[in-house]
Amino acid sequence: MLRQFLDGDLWRFARARPGMLFGFVVVVANLVLALFGPLVAPYPTEAPAGASLLPPSGQHWFGTDVSGIDVLSRMIASPRIDLTIALVSTAIAFTAGVGLGVISGFFAQGERTGRIFSAAIMRTADIVQAFPMFVFALALVGLSGPSMTNVIVALAFLNIPFFLRITRGTVLQVRSRTFVEAALCAGNTELRAAFAHVMPNAIAPALVHFSTTIGFSILLTAGLSFVGAGVPPPTPELGLMIQVGAQNMITGHWWTALFPGLMLAISVLAFSLFGDHLRVFLDPTNRR
Amino acid sequence: MHRRFLIFAAKRLLFTIPQLFAVSIIVFFLIRLLPGDPSYMLAGPYALPERVAEVRGQLGLDQPLLTQYFSYLGRIFTGDFGISWRTSQPVINDILLRLPATLELVVLAVFFSIVIGIPLGAAVAVNEGGILKRIVFLYGMLAGSLPDFWIGLLLILVFFYFLGWAPAPVGQLDFAVSTPDHITGAYALDALLTGNWQTLRSASAQLVLPVATLVLVYMPLVLKTARSTMEEMLESHFMLQARASGLSRRTQLRYALRNALPPIITVIGIEFWFLLGGAVLVETIFAWGGLGQYAVESVVNSDYAPLQAVVLVTAVFTTLVFLIVDLLYHLLDPRISV
Repeated sequence: MLRQFLDGDLWRFARARPGMLFGFVVVVANLVLALFGPLVAPYPTEAPAGASLLPPSGQHWFGTDVSGIDVLSRMIASPRIDLTIALVSTAIAFTAGVGLGVISGFFAQGERTGRIFSAAIMRTADIVQAFPMFVFALALVGLSGPSMTNVIVALAFLNIPFFLRITRGTVLQVRSRTFVEAALCAGNTELRAAFAHVMPNAIAPALVHFSTTIGFSILLTAGLSFVGAGVPPPTPELGLMIQVGAQNMITGHWWTALFPGLMLAISVLAFSLFGDHLRVFLDPTNRR
Repeated sequence: MHRRFLIFAAKRLLFTIPQLFAVSIIVFFLIRLLPGDPSYMLAGPYALPERVAEVRGQLGLDQPLLTQYFSYLGRIFTGDFGISWRTSQPVINDILLRLPATLELVVLAVFFSIVIGIPLGAAVAVNEGGILKRIVFLYGMLAGSLPDFWIGLLLILVFFYFLGWAPAPVGQLDFAVSTPDHITGAYALDALLTGNWQTLRSASAQLVLPVATLVLVYMPLVLKTARSTMEEMLESHFMLQARASGLSRRTQLRYALRNALPPIITVIGIEFWFLLGGAVLVETIFAWGGLGQYAVESVVNSDYAPLQAVVLVTAVFTTLVFLIVDLLYHLLDPRISV
């Protein structure tokens, strides 16, 4: 499988582009850490491993935080939380968004009930997006109670409109092609034509957006935890680490918040770079 | 003002009304996410049984849903957002106190994003290649991934702790400085209006880092759009025509920029939308005491009435910003406004 991958187009495309290569490596590293991170962390991730606020040293590469917990170990364990939340919420948003997008795009022109239904979906999306995203997420999690599940639900809900719009746009283009008409003439029901024939031809942009959304969701998750409306402490999570480190940062113990923030920024950047380049890769007219 | 614009404006305005109602419906239902009986949660942990009963009566939880919604609507129209059990103030008072502080941050951040972003974007579009282009490209790519709260902390570390140039992140004013007379509620502006120079100096110094954080992280939205639309304009036929007609470089650029404005206006609206969220985190770091920090404190203390109100206020605010953006767009885009 590795052999096949290395001979494949994607790898050849990535090799020539440092941005994509960087994104690819960091994304894979994040996935590996999400699977094995807590197992390979050199120190316990929720218990002290030394004195409080030790600066970076050979023993504690990134120092220890105010409770004496090894910063690096917590960072290694963090993708298990951050990436899981981002992946699961994005997957839900993707499924719901693409589904609704196909329906609203397919029935945008046509008989009356379909049109009304399609318009209703779009207006609902408009309303959801009238709320500033972070404030809305904060309220959703704050009201339903800070927990991993509630963060996932809130992020999934807020990301649906983005997938919905992207998919609807392509569905509108694909809908007018002759093969759709052919499918309908051959006796397929409208729903079957929409999901079996149109959707496969309209899903690529949403797939590309998947990667970018994961990065963005990691950022939102960390932001929510940072203000105390995300996962509860002492979970090894980047936003929580930055929050704990924030007070020490002002007194010059910079390592406690600097490294987790750096990891956060690099991960988000990697996911969006990977997504950007994937779009170019999948769209031959864009390739240069 | 053309007749067509007025018709468009009236239509757009009419469209805003159902939007605002829909927003209020969502906010009304938000409170039902609370597990169990919302009246216990809204009354706060130390409420007496009488207070809980009073809140339940106010919410009308025994009434049909529609009646409840309309009485909620009636209350928000009279400015009654409930009472914060934490500050024991009517929520509306807290909001009026804190909204100007947040708007001050957001408006200044948008202002500097425009003042820096548009010329920089245009400059990059005009100069093919070059080091500036590479730097702006890298920065634009990076900035979208930067956690705003972390950038704020880094700025505090460097400019307050290491260099000592910035004041301590203690809010809108230094501890020793008196607050200016209340006019708008935004301290820097009030100090300026009343000629209170000492307060103005302190308020402006406090503004520098939070505004810089927001500008650093959110300006690329404007920058990237300015660059790409300017590039598009410079390659367009009407610019070729302008060049062929021998118009001066200055005039050419003015034409291009004028026509690149509509998409930039749209993105400025989106920036407002982003900043209202970003301000929440940045306010928390700088102890700003604005609406965002109020929301965060409410979440942490399970004080739900203020949270509901902040969501409503920010959503109404965004809806109005998008309304203004659409109207401006219509006025500026020569293809639809003439």
